[in-house]
Amino acid sequence: MAVERTATLVAVTDHGADTRSLFLDLPGGLDFRPGQFVSCLLPVDGERLTRPYSIASSPEHADRLELLLNLVPDGAGSQHLFDLPIGGTIQLTGPWGTFALDRAPDAETVFLADGTGIAPIRPMLHRAAATASRPLHLVWATTNPFWADELRAIDGLSVTIIAPSALEATVRARWVDADDDRSRHFFVCGVGDIVPRLRDLLRGSGYARRAVQYERW
Amino acid sequence: MARVIVRFENGDPERVIDVDLSKAPFQHDGRPGSILDILLANGVPLEHACGGSCACTTCHVIVKQGSDRLSEAEESEEDMLDKAPGLTPTSRLGCQAVLTDDDAEIVVVVPRFTINQSSGSHGG
Repeated sequence: MAVERTATLVAVTDHGADTRSLFLDLPGGLDFRPGQFVSCLLPVDGERLTRPYSIASSPEHADRLELLLNLVPDGAGSQHLFDLPIGGTIQLTGPWGTFALDRAPDAETVFLADGTGIAPIRPMLHRAAATASRPLHLVWATTNPFWADELRAIDGLSVTIIAPSALEATVRARWVDADDDRSRHFFVCGVGDIVPRLRDLLRGSGYARRAVQYERW
Repeated sequence: MARVIVRFENGDPERVIDVDLSKAPFQHDGRPGSILDILLANGVPLEHACGGSCACTTCHVIVKQGSDRLSEAEESEEDMLDKAPGLTPTSRLGCQAVLTDDDAEIVVVVPRFTINQSSGSHGG
């Protein structure tokens, strides 16, 4: 059941013109798993929009949530959040979602992030690195790699940053065509059709269904 | 007109909703003409934490009659349903299951944990 909470915007960081981190104080914190999202209830044009946003920060900092926001053209929800002043409040529920990682799988693990799909992947990477016994890889397909330094500093994680148009071919070359090892696990997040395309590519090449977890926004 | 009969595990009174599918979408969340679309537009506050984009299981409903009058579940929906609490063989996600037949009469049960009890005091 959804319990509404009130969060207060305490800071923002802009990552270029149309991408922004919102930092929200939530008294009492939030008990969430890396990868989960909150559901924002936004008053827009006399209606109440329900808009999900992945939590881009880690559960270890539970009383200050970071949400990554992409300004969507004609997107009433994202415009409302972009216009929210410091000190403004948001009603939200959560955490929600089953795209989550509590500890690193006991297998080589590949994280695939398309654009702002990096948001839920980021806390997953920190958790995975803290618990991993097998290799960890990240491929982030983006033209705006604003978290590159932080991610490259994660122990035991290999980071590849590529153009969005190269994501599918990169995955095919490295983890489909390169060998017959199908023991790897994948976590895939992004916006739009690229996500089910990667899912189908990986499952179709022999990876187990449950070894390919994904979230499509 | 299609008909959706909604029953509630929490004991709320049954609802009978008649809809003209040619007028879908009826509101802004979930697939046009989906169970979520129809229920939200008719005052049934079905939970939908992800906004109706097949990224959670909170709009889970159980179809008791007329499942052949709904769009087939795609892989994304099946993957989500695998993780739904209280999964049954006729479970669907309300945001993804679209009525496909204007003569359809379907019966859905809203599980106890699927109704959004927080929305009533805030005007939905």
